[in-house]
Amino acid sequence: MESLSFTRAANLLAFLFLIAAFLYVVRAGVAAQLRLFTAQSAVLSILAAVVAVFGGSVELVGVALVFAIIRVVVIPMALRRLLPPLDLQPELAVRTGRTASIVAAAVLVFLGFYIATPLASSAPLPTSDGIAPSFASVLLALFLLLSRRGAAGQIFGFLALENAVFMVALLAAYRVPLIVEMGVFLDLLAAALILAMTLYRIQDGGEHGTPAGGPENTAGRLDAAKS
Amino acid sequence: MLVLLLLIPLSASIAIGFCRSRRIMEWVHGGAAGFSLLAGAVIAFGFAGAGPVTPLGSLDADALSAFMIAIIALVAAVAGIYAVGYVRVQLDGSQVQRAQQFYILFQLFVFTTLLAVSVDNLGVMCIAIEGAVLASVFLLNLNDSQAAIRAAFKYLLVTSVGIVLAFLGTALLYYAVAVRAGDVGLSWTTLMSVAGQLDPGLVRAAFGFILIGYGTLAGLAPMHPWLPDVYSEAPPPVSALLSGILSNVGIYALIRFKAVADAVDGGVFSSTWLLRFGLLSLAVAALYLVSQRSHRRILAFSCIEHTGIIALGLGFGGYWGIAGALFHMMNHAVTKSMLFIVSGSLVLKYRTDRIDEVRGLLRAAPLTACAFLCGMLALMGLPPFGLFVSGFAVFSAGFASHPAYAAAGIAFAAVAFAGMFTGINRMLHGPLPEGHDRSDPLKLASLPIVVNAVLIFAFGLFLPGGLRALFDEVLRGLGVPL
Repeated sequence: MESLSFTRAANLLAFLFLIAAFLYVVRAGVAAQLRLFTAQSAVLSILAAVVAVFGGSVELVGVALVFAIIRVVVIPMALRRLLPPLDLQPELAVRTGRTASIVAAAVLVFLGFYIATPLASSAPLPTSDGIAPSFASVLLALFLLLSRRGAAGQIFGFLALENAVFMVALLAAYRVPLIVEMGVFLDLLAAALILAMTLYRIQDGGEHGTPAGGPENTAGRLDAAKS
Repeated sequence: MLVLLLLIPLSASIAIGFCRSRRIMEWVHGGAAGFSLLAGAVIAFGFAGAGPVTPLGSLDADALSAFMIAIIALVAAVAGIYAVGYVRVQLDGSQVQRAQQFYILFQLFVFTTLLAVSVDNLGVMCIAIEGAVLASVFLLNLNDSQAAIRAAFKYLLVTSVGIVLAFLGTALLYYAVAVRAGDVGLSWTTLMSVAGQLDPGLVRAAFGFILIGYGTLAGLAPMHPWLPDVYSEAPPPVSALLSGILSNVGIYALIRFKAVADAVDGGVFSSTWLLRFGLLSLAVAALYLVSQRSHRRILAFSCIEHTGIIALGLGFGGYWGIAGALFHMMNHAVTKSMLFIVSGSLVLKYRTDRIDEVRGLLRAAPLTACAFLCGMLALMGLPPFGLFVSGFAVFSAGFASHPAYAAAGIAFAAVAFAGMFTGINRMLHGPLPEGHDRSDPLKLASLPIVVNAVLIFAFGLFLPGGLRALFDEVLRGLGVPL
C-alpha cells in the first residue's frame, strides 16, 4: 500500500516535471523561463523529499533542502539580478520557428517514452514509471540547448538539462550512496556557468552572441524605439 | 606512494596560496611539477616490475591507472616548467596575483585529474573530472582577451553538458546494478564482477550517454565544436594540459565503461559506436585541416584526428587494437604537449599564429624549428616517430577485424596529412620578416622540448619492455584476451 502511494506520488511529480519541460520550449520569454525553472526545481525538491520519506533516507532530506535552497531560491535570484530588468526583456533568440519547435518537442517526448519505457520496465523499482517522463524531459532540454542562440538562452537550456538529469538520477538510483552528492556537486557547474556568463556579458559589449538582450542591447533597442 | 603523489600538487597549490614572493611561487610550482613526475614514474615503473600498488580506501591504482598517472605526470611536468617562463613573459611584476592564481589552478587541475584516474569509484571520478574542468576554465583567459573569454564560456558550457550527460549515464548504470545485484558499491572492481547479471538494454543506454558525455571532453566529433576555439585561444601551457591530460582522462573513462559494457553484451554495441564516432572525428579533422590558416588551429584539429584514431583502436579491439590505442594516447600526449609549447613560442616570437606570416623559422630559431618540424611530421604519422608505430598497430588491428572502417580511416588520415604538410613547409623557409632577431624565444621552453623530442623518437624506434608489460597488465584488467 505504502509503495503504491509512493509510486503514485513519483509518477505525478514526474509528469508535472515533463509539462514544465515542454513549456520551456513553448514559452521563449526570459521571465517565463525563469518562472518555469523555479517551478521545475520546486517539483524536483518535492520529489527528493518524497523519496527521502518513503526510502527512509536522512541523507536525501538534506539533498531536498539543498535543492530547494539553491535551485528554487538562489539561482533564480542570481539570474534575476544578472539579467536585465524583466519588463524590458525581449524573447530569447531561437534557431527554429515556434511551430517547428513544438512539433519537434512532441516528437522528442514520444521518442523519450519509446526508448525509456522498455528500459524502465526491465528493472522494476517503485519509481520506475516516472523514469520515462523524466527521460523525455532530458531530451527536451537537450533540444532547448541546441536550438537556443546566445548565452542566456543556453544557460536556461543547461539548467533545464541539469534538473532533468537529477530527476532521472533520483528516480533510478536513489538507493545508491553518493549519487546524490554527485548531483549536489553538479550545482557548482551551474554556479560557474552563471559566473562565466556575467564575465562574458561584461566583456561582450553587446556585440556578439547575446541576442538574448544584454543590458546594452536592450538599451539600444529602447533608444531605437524612442527615436 | 599514490597518496604522496596526490598530496604533491594539492599541497603545492595550498603553499602557493600563502606565498608572497613570485620567485618562491615559481619554485614551489616547478618543484611540485618535478616531484609529481618522479612519484608518477616510480608508480608506473613499480607497476611494470611488481604487482599492484598500495590500495588505500577507495584509492586503488591498477595498471590502467598507473599508465594514466605516467601520462599526466609527464605532461604536467613539461607544461608546468614551460608555464613558468610563459607567465613571466605574459604577466609583468604588477600582476603577481594573477600569476599566483594561475599556479594554484594549474596544480589543482593536476590534482583533480590524478584523483580521477586513481580512484576506484565512478562517483568520485565524475566529481574529480568536473573539478578539473572548473579549474581549467579559469586558466583559459590569462590576459582577458575577448576571444579567450568567449572560448572559455563555450568550453564551460559544452563540457558541463558533457559531464551532466555522463552523470546521467552513470546513474542509469547504477540503476541497472541496483535492481539486479542489490546495493553494491560503485567501484570498478565490483561493477566488473556483477556485469554478467545486468540488463543489456539499460547498460547500452548508459554507455550511450557516457560515450557522448566523456567523448565531449575527449574531443570526439560530433561533440567537438568547442575544441578548436579553446585550444587555439588558451595560453599554450594550458592547451598542452587540455590536449595531453583532459582529453586522455575522457578516453580513460570511456575505456573503463567500455570494459563494463563489453562484459555485459560482448562489446558489439560499444565497439560499433566508438568506430562511428572515431571515423567521423577523422573525417571532420581532415576536412578542416585542409583549409587552416593558423598553426594553433592545425594542432587543435589534429587533436580531433588523433582522438578519432584512438577511438577507432578501442573499437577495433583485440590485443593490438587496444594496446595500440593506449600507446597512441601516450605518444599523442607527448607530441602534442611539445607542439603546443613550440607554437606558443612561435606566437611569442612572431606575434601571430597565421601560417602565412611565419617565415624563415629554420634560420631564425633552429631549435624551435627542429622541434616544430619533428612534432609535425610525427603528427602526420610518418616514421620514425611513436605515433606512426601506434597508428600502424591500430590500423593493422582494424584491417583484421573491420577492414571497411580501417580503409576509410586511412583515407581520411591521408587527406589530413596533405592538409598539414603544405602549410608547415612554408613556415620553415623563406626570408625572415623585418625586426626579428635570430634566437629561440624562451630558454625555459628548451628543456621540455628536448625531453619530449627524445621520447617521440624513442617510442618510434622501440617499445620499452616495461611499457609492454604494463599494456599486458592493463589488457588483462580489462578482460581482453591476450
